[in-house]
Amino acid sequence: MRVMYALSVVLLTGACSDLARSPAHAGADAQVQTLGTVEVTARLVEVPEGAIFKRDLYDYATILKYEVVTVHRGALKQGAVIYVGQYNPWKPRAAAADRKAPNLGGNARQFHAGRLQRLALATPLDDFFMGGLVDKYFGRRAGPAYWAVWTNDAD
Amino acid sequence: MPSTRQPQLCLILMFLALIGSVPLLQAALELAAGARPQALEVFRQKPTAPNLRRYEHDLTEASRVAGWLRPWAQYVLFAGLGDGGGKTLVGRAGWLFYKPGVQGLTDRPAHGSHTVEEAAAAIVDFRDQLQARGLRLLIVPAPNKESIYPEYVTRRAAGLGAVPGAGTRALLQQLAAAGVEVADLFALFAAGKTNATAPLYLAQDSHWSPAGVELAAQLVARRITGRGWLQTGTTAYLCRPAPIERVGDLLDMLQLPRTLTRETVPCRQVVRADDGAPYRDEPGAEVLVLGDSFLRIYATDEPGAAGFSAHLARELKQPVLSLINDGGGATLVRQELCRRPQLLAGKKVVIWEFVERDLRLATEGWPRVSLPPPAHP
Repeated sequence: MRVMYALSVVLLTGACSDLARSPAHAGADAQVQTLGTVEVTARLVEVPEGAIFKRDLYDYATILKYEVVTVHRGALKQGAVIYVGQYNPWKPRAAAADRKAPNLGGNARQFHAGRLQRLALATPLDDFFMGGLVDKYFGRRAGPAYWAVWTNDAD
Repeated sequence: MPSTRQPQLCLILMFLALIGSVPLLQAALELAAGARPQALEVFRQKPTAPNLRRYEHDLTEASRVAGWLRPWAQYVLFAGLGDGGGKTLVGRAGWLFYKPGVQGLTDRPAHGSHTVEEAAAAIVDFRDQLQARGLRLLIVPAPNKESIYPEYVTRRAAGLGAVPGAGTRALLQQLAAAGVEVADLFALFAAGKTNATAPLYLAQDSHWSPAGVELAAQLVARRITGRGWLQTGTTAYLCRPAPIERVGDLLDMLQLPRTLTRETVPCRQVVRADDGAPYRDEPGAEVLVLGDSFLRIYATDEPGAAGFSAHLARELKQPVLSLINDGGGATLVRQELCRRPQLLAGKKVVIWEFVERDLRLATEGWPRVSLPPPAHP
């Protein structure tokens, strides 16, 4: 019983320590602050139906729509809507990298609408990923798509 | 009385420890990795039915214990009982099949399904857009493995030859009626499998074998030159043996904890006759080949320069250009071409390969995709 109680305290402390972080530093780590050419904290606007599901035979990137909340690096503006390619988004970011898309990572585990994430981005996407791209916004979006190099949760 | 309750209590405690240790171990591992415990995610969203279902699914996917045990359980089921899990069908003589593909062959289409009509409309529309640019289109549906080798799915199919699905037959008829050029690999492979010295598909993989690749490339080259769409070029290529050992995608999909067997694949690599350099695509080529993993296998996969495009180039005596989209032969590859329309510059012929199962399972379905207007010099 004592062990259970102690573990509960540890878990709640862990959860609260995340919440207590200042917004400017939420999700910050060495990788997200150095990789790519753009670094933002952005809110995932939506996850279109069928955009994220586990694939059997193949690997895809999926375009996700974010609204920029804070710009840490790069020329984006606060409030801008950006489209970001996330590789195999059904996987936790820490397990997403492979031979086709190396050097990806982060502590984000899932993509849920409304979540804040801190992203290190590269552009244009085609320079970094040449595989299958599921783009639910095809023909309806303008501007470049970004490639998510590092994705940390920031809320 | 206390002596009879003791074993019961002991069993209850053991049971509670067993089911309690899994989440506790999971939380401890996540904390050790510096991550927030997954179990706490439930407090970060409204407790709606979809959110709770997703939470439960996420917990299952993230479970380390399940991750450790699942491959071994799958191994016992596969090696001991011949069960391939949810996606792999274990056939005869060690052949594996992609279960959703087989279901597409055997099941009736869903009521109200218009996939065949949508696919035909998208293909005709794409043909018309290319025609308006002065380009020819050749459609190359790559047969499902089970369509060509049904006898390895069940012995009752022995002697059937090739059995394309009802939807495939309907699509081929509609395309013929619309005047779309199609390279019929079903008839070719049905005849070829009895004559070929090696099977036209891999036993552990959902893709064609080197023999299948070469047969398909020969037919496509004959069709293009036979129709007068292209003159044979002057670049001479040779073939050199390049056998590889490969773990098939269907076996790989089982995520077994150890590799049971590797399949020896007798690839033939295409090399230039003049300097022996392995075949390479040429951006300025007159032929653009669109397709999926049936183009990727042996090309960007091992051994390289031994895939469909390389053998097509050898037959045409000129290099081609490939745009490959794994699992996206139906639509994703057309969308990618829209993003990179410069690939059409200088082209005379577009070859569009997609796998038969995409008729029902295509990622993103079969929408029409409008190419951007051609850039005028």
